[in-house]
Amino acid sequence: MDALVDPFSAPYMQRALLAVVLLAVAGGLFGAWIALRRLAFFTHAVGTATFPGLVVAGPAGIAAPVAALGAAALYTAGLARLLRDGRLASDAATGLMLVAALAIGSILAGDVFESGAEVDRLLFGTLLGLSDGDLWLAGAVAALAVGCTAVLGRTWLATGFDPGAARSLGVPAALGDWLLLAMLALAVVAALPCVGALLVSTLLVVPSATARLLAGSMRGLLAGGVALALAEGVGGLLAADELNLPPGPAIAVLGGAVFGLAALARRLR
Amino acid sequence: MELLESELLRRALAEVVALGIVCGPLGVWILHLRHTYAAESLAHAMLPGLVLAALAGLPLVLGAAGGIVAAALLVALAARDRRIGSELAVAVTVGALFGLGAALALAPDTPARLSELLFGDPLGATDGDLLVAAGLGLVVLLALGLGGRALRVTAFDPGSARSLGVSPARTSAGLLVLLGVAIVASVQGLGNLLVLALLVAPAAAALRASDRLVVQLRLAAVLGAVSGVAGMALSYYADVAAGPSVALVACALAVAGSLPGRRRAVGVRRGPIEGLAGGR
Amino acid sequence: MSLVEARDLATGYDGLRAALRGVTFTVQEGQAIAVLGPNGGGKTTLLRVLLGELAVLAGTCTVAGRAAYVAQSGRARLDFPVSALDVVLMGAYARTSPWRRLGRAERARATAMLDRVGLAGRAGERFGTLSGGQRQRVLIARALLQDAPLLLLDEPFTGVDRASEAELLAILDELRAEGRGLLVSTHDIEHARRWDRVLCLNGVQIAFGPPGEALTPQILHATYGEELVTLGEETVAVHAHHHD
Repeated sequence: MDALVDPFSAPYMQRALLAVVLLAVAGGLFGAWIALRRLAFFTHAVGTATFPGLVVAGPAGIAAPVAALGAAALYTAGLARLLRDGRLASDAATGLMLVAALAIGSILAGDVFESGAEVDRLLFGTLLGLSDGDLWLAGAVAALAVGCTAVLGRTWLATGFDPGAARSLGVPAALGDWLLLAMLALAVVAALPCVGALLVSTLLVVPSATARLLAGSMRGLLAGGVALALAEGVGGLLAADELNLPPGPAIAVLGGAVFGLAALARRLR
Repeated sequence: MELLESELLRRALAEVVALGIVCGPLGVWILHLRHTYAAESLAHAMLPGLVLAALAGLPLVLGAAGGIVAAALLVALAARDRRIGSELAVAVTVGALFGLGAALALAPDTPARLSELLFGDPLGATDGDLLVAAGLGLVVLLALGLGGRALRVTAFDPGSARSLGVSPARTSAGLLVLLGVAIVASVQGLGNLLVLALLVAPAAAALRASDRLVVQLRLAAVLGAVSGVAGMALSYYADVAAGPSVALVACALAVAGSLPGRRRAVGVRRGPIEGLAGGR
Repeated sequence: MSLVEARDLATGYDGLRAALRGVTFTVQEGQAIAVLGPNGGGKTTLLRVLLGELAVLAGTCTVAGRAAYVAQSGRARLDFPVSALDVVLMGAYARTSPWRRLGRAERARATAMLDRVGLAGRAGERFGTLSGGQRQRVLIARALLQDAPLLLLDEPFTGVDRASEAELLAILDELRAEGRGLLVSTHDIEHARRWDRVLCLNGVQIAFGPPGEALTPQILHATYGEELVTLGEETVAVHAHHHD
C-alpha cells in the first residue's frame, strides 16, 4: 500500500494526479463519441496542430492554452478551406495540414526560437511544472464533458447512428456536431501539458477504443472509457515517475498493452 | 549555384529530389485509394524500430523496415475485431508504438537523437544512404508501373475488379507495402514525422491540377522534385533546418494550389462530422 | 387536409441543376402513395426535399408538420451499441427536452410500438444483430413513436424476406386506416397496385394517379425503360438493382 501512496506524497505528483483524473473523465466521456463518430484521426491531428502554437507561446508571452487554441482554430479554418471545393478528400487535407503544422513548429522551435529541450515537453508532456491554470482548464473540460454528454449525448448518438434520419427526428444535428468538434478541441488543449501534442490520443481515444471492445451499451462505453482512462492515466503516471519519462509515452504504452489484453480476452472468450 | 558547391549539400539535394520523384506518384495512389491516415500512422509507428536501430548503431533503414513490419502486423491484428474500425485500430497501435519509441529515446541513459529521427537530417546522409534511397525508390517506381492496372481498377472501379482479375484487398495491401518501402527510404531525409509531406502534398496539388491520371502521376513527381530543390534552397539561404524546409515548401505548394477554387455548391446539407470523419 | 402539396417542384443536389423536375402531387390523410422509378430516377431525392434536406429550385412544396422518415436500415450504423428499444426511443427525442431522461412513460410507449410491429420480444437485442426485415420494422416503430401524421419510407421492402414483407404491408395498411399519410418508394409494382395513388418518377414526373390510370404499359415503359420485364401483355416485374 505504501508503494502506491508514497509516490504521491510529493506535491508535483499530487498535481499530476489531479490533472490526470480530471483529464481521464473528459477523455473517457468524449472518447466514446470519438470512437463512434470516427474522429480519432481528427483528434490526433488537432493535437499535433497545436505544436506551432505551443512553440510560439513562451517567447511571445501568450498563455500556452490560448496559443494552442489559436493554432487549433487556424488549423480547423485551414482544413475547412481546403475541403470547401470537394477536390481534396478529408483525410488527405487533414494529413496535409498536420504535417505542415509539424514542419512549421519544428522550424520555429529549431531555428527561430531555439526552444531546445522544451520541444520534448511540448511533444510528450511533463510531470513537473503543471500550473494552476492547467488544472483549472482540466477541471473545466471535465465538467463540460459531463454536462455535454448529459445534454447532447442523445443528439450525438442519433446523428451518428443514422445521419439521414437525424433531421426528421428533430435533433439539432448540425449544431450538435459543431459543438462536439469544439469540445474536442478544448479537450485536446487541456490534455497538452500532461501528455503532449503528439499523444493526446492516449487519454482521449485509446481507453475508449478498449471500452468499445468490451461494452455492449452506450452506458458501458461511457463508464468503461472513464474507468480505463483513470487506470491507464494513473498507472502511466506512476511508471513515468519511476522511469523518469514524460507521462505521454508511459500512458501510451500502458494503454496499448491494455487494449491488446482486452482484444485477446475477447478472442479467447 | 552555391547549393551545388559542397558535397554535403549535393548529396542532400540528390536525396530529397529522388525522394520527391518517388513519393509524388506513390502519393497520388495513396490519395486515390484513401490511405492517408494509414500512411501517416505507419510513419509514426516505426519510431521504436528507428530508435532501437539508432541505439544499436545499426543503419536506420533496418530499424525502419523492422518497425514498419511490426506496425503493419499489429494494426492488422487490432483491426480484426468488428467493433474496432481500421481508424481506431490504427489510433491505438500507432499511439502505443510511437509512445514506446519516444520512451526508449527519452529514457535518461540514451543519447538524445530524437529530433533527427522525428524531423529528418538530410545533411547527415552518407553515400550509402543515398544509394539505398535511390535503390528503394526505383523498386517503388517499378512496382507502381507494373501494378498500374490493378491500382486503377481498385481506385476507380472496384465493382468490376473481380471480373477484371484484380483483387482490391491485395492491391491495397501491396500499396501499403510500397508505402512502407518509401517511408523507409525517406526516413533519413525527412524523418518519421515529415515524410508524409512528400507523400501527400505534391499528390494533392497534382490531383487538383488535373483530372487525368497520367498527368497527375507525372505532375506529382515533378512537384516532389521541385519541393526538394526549393526546400533545400530555403534551408540554405534562410539558415533553417533542411527536413522541415522541404516539408514546408511541399505543403505550401499544395495549399497555394488549392486556394483559388470555386466553392462547390451546397449539395445535401450534411453535418460537419460526416465531412471530416476518417477511416472506414 | 393535404399533408403534402407539391406543385411543379424541382430540386437537385448541387444547387444549380435539377435532378428532379416537374413534380406535382398531393398526399391526403389516410392515403398511401407508391413512388416508382428506376435507381437514380429521383425517388430518394423526392423524399429528401420533402424532409428539407435539399433546396427547392423551382415550384412549391408544402409539408404540413414534421414527417417521420424511415430510411433504409442498411444506412444506419449497425455497429453502434444500441438496442432495438434504444433505437425506437430516438423517436421521442424531438418532444423531450435534451436534459430530461426519457421516463417510464416513454419507454412504455416505445415498447408498445415494438409490440405493434411484432418485435416486443427483441427489445433488448442489439440493433445490428437483427435481420434486415426486423431492422426495418424497428425503424418503423421509431417512426410510429414520433407520432407524425406523415411517414416517408425509402424502399422499405428492399432486402426483406417474404414473411417480414407481409407483416410490413399489414402494418402500413393499419397506418393508412388510422388516417396517416404514407409515401413509400418501392420497386414492387404489385405493392403499387394495392395503394391509393402511384407517382412515377424518372428525372421528371411521368404520372400521378390511381393505380388503374398510372400503371399502364406506356407509363411504366417511360418510367423504367429497359428495366421492365413483361410477359406477353402483362407487366410482371421491374428488374431491381440492389444498392451497395
